Amino acid sequence: MNVPLKWLNRFGLLLALLAIYLLFIFIAPSSFSTMRNLETIARQTVIVGIAAIGMTFVIISGGIDLSVGSIVAFSSVFVAYFLSKTHFSPLPSAVCAVAVGSAIGLISGFLITRLKVVPFIVTLGMMLLCRGAAKGIAGEQKINAPYTWLNEVLASLPPERSWMILSPGVWIFIFLTLIFAFILRYTVFGRATVAIGSNEQTARLCGIAVERTKVIIYTLSALFASIAGVMQFSRLTVGDPTVAVGLELDVIAAVVIGGASLSGGQGTIFGSLIGALIMTIIRSGCTQMGLENWIQEIVTGAIIITAVALDRLRHRKS
Amino acid sequence: MRKILSLLFILSIAFLTSCSKQAPVDKSKITIAVIPKGTTHEFWKSIHAGAVRASQELDVEIIWKGPLKEDDRESQITVVEDFITRGVSGIVLAPLDNTALRRPVSEATRAGISVVIIDSALDSNDFVSFVSTDNYIGGQKAGEHLAKLLNGKGKIAVLRYQEGSASTQQREKGFLDAIAKYPDIQVVSANQYGGATTETAYKASENLLAPLRNADQALSIDGIFTPNESTTFGMLRALQDNAFAGKVKFVGFDSSEMLVKALKEGQINALILQDPMNMGYLGVKTIVAHLRGEPIEKQIDTGSVVAAPENMNDPHIDKLLNPDFAKWLTTK
Repeated sequence: MNVPLKWLNRFGLLLALLAIYLLFIFIAPSSFSTMRNLETIARQTVIVGIAAIGMTFVIISGGIDLSVGSIVAFSSVFVAYFLSKTHFSPLPSAVCAVAVGSAIGLISGFLITRLKVVPFIVTLGMMLLCRGAAKGIAGEQKINAPYTWLNEVLASLPPERSWMILSPGVWIFIFLTLIFAFILRYTVFGRATVAIGSNEQTARLCGIAVERTKVIIYTLSALFASIAGVMQFSRLTVGDPTVAVGLELDVIAAVVIGGASLSGGQGTIFGSLIGALIMTIIRSGCTQMGLENWIQEIVTGAIIITAVALDRLRHRKS
Repeated sequence: MRKILSLLFILSIAFLTSCSKQAPVDKSKITIAVIPKGTTHEFWKSIHAGAVRASQELDVEIIWKGPLKEDDRESQITVVEDFITRGVSGIVLAPLDNTALRRPVSEATRAGISVVIIDSALDSNDFVSFVSTDNYIGGQKAGEHLAKLLNGKGKIAVLRYQEGSASTQQREKGFLDAIAKYPDIQVVSANQYGGATTETAYKASENLLAPLRNADQALSIDGIFTPNESTTFGMLRALQDNAFAGKVKFVGFDSSEMLVKALKEGQINALILQDPMNMGYLGVKTIVAHLRGEPIEKQIDTGSVVAAPENMNDPHIDKLLNPDFAKWLTTK
């Protein structure tokens, strides 16, 4: 294979991201090329992006997690609950909410490995269960919480804190992405995840603790969904049990656009990050152009299919 | 395969580019983003029509953009942020939540973009005007009308909507305050809540009516008030199922096809109607006035009227019952 093709293969996704961004710079109002827009896009990508880190592990292992959106709502309700009902200070509230949310993933993991029920069904059940639980805890309405520094995490930076360049939430997201890209690529756990997704039987024969790895993977997914939930609370300033309905589909789309294969064994954290960015850019670009919602939905659907299909075509040729 | 794909890709780009031509290019023109709570309900279509009417009269550009997911707070916050980034001249917003939308609104104000709030209140001072139905006055009108129907005496019941819903609480308060002026009218029940959906309102109505029967199974009350669409419809269904419909004076709030039909058939005696088209119209008009440096009111009532069988064919009432928004939304 010649050199340019090799480069195209490695950076194809990045090029697609750039192409879509440039396309919108060309057709959207001039505001689209400003720094402020880049900052807004970064902030708006955080929730889907963080959840996509966990989902990448799940999909690479050949599984799926449909409970992500509900866990986001679940943990955002819990943050508000701890802040307003038990009067915890912000950090313990966030930590406790993430712990409660992660427990859901632990349970899913156990059900998938012990009962041998397929992930699709277990997480579908958990999706409904968590949504119901979130509504129950919140008493079928939103929970108002006192305004704390937690609500500043994903806000656009006020002038006096412009030295941070990006909102703290975006930094947390970048930090998590780097760590878990490393874990996926260079640790035993990361390699085991890929091995299970490529061929579970072979992985087992090679001595990988398949069950234990899977439980960890689903717990991780819920952990990231819960962190995304804290971010969601930060944006909303209230605990809303009806938020993030269908978010899992955005997250799955981001991961798949990023080059992961739903049949497992393939995918990268950076790919998922780019996938999430592409989704945000399309949405934000369409809004700034003032497109009607129905047009926007059709355009987004078409771009998702095109992006993934082009990617597969590229793979087949190489 | 490749051909199909490239074709699809080119088509989607061509589609996007052709759409972009609709986007305003005239920089000197005022551009207002109008952000409703959703886009598919009739109520919001009327608001849209009013906004379009105002934009044509005032020669300004409006961008109508609801949250991608109906009634989703996060989605609406994102839309507001995108318009702040785009740098529109002003925003007309119907906030989905009185607290969650505070921050995006103050960010808009910080970025020098004025905001007019319509329909529902926002717990903030970062907007220039609040344009909505004065729900207290609407409730008072309902109370006056029911008192008139009862000739100033009798027993009545109120099915409230939901705890924490500011607009309906004001309607209930307005209603009860108006009724309090009639010493011979006795409120036998005003502490039941219908809840969020028609289904919960239906159950609550049945529970409310159950103890209010005489020995001969007829209703022991003479009048009923319900403060919104879902409670009105739930109560109507409960009255119909128990064959009480038409035998008790019934005043509701808001309209829908089913409610208008019941009004025609005399099962409902009056509906208090808001004027969403006027709300969209005044929302845009107010922000444009503000941007042009004219003085504006901090709070503007868009009005409400009593629709009863005897006046439902008046042109003004008929327009509210059967809004002609199609005229404004197709001539774009």
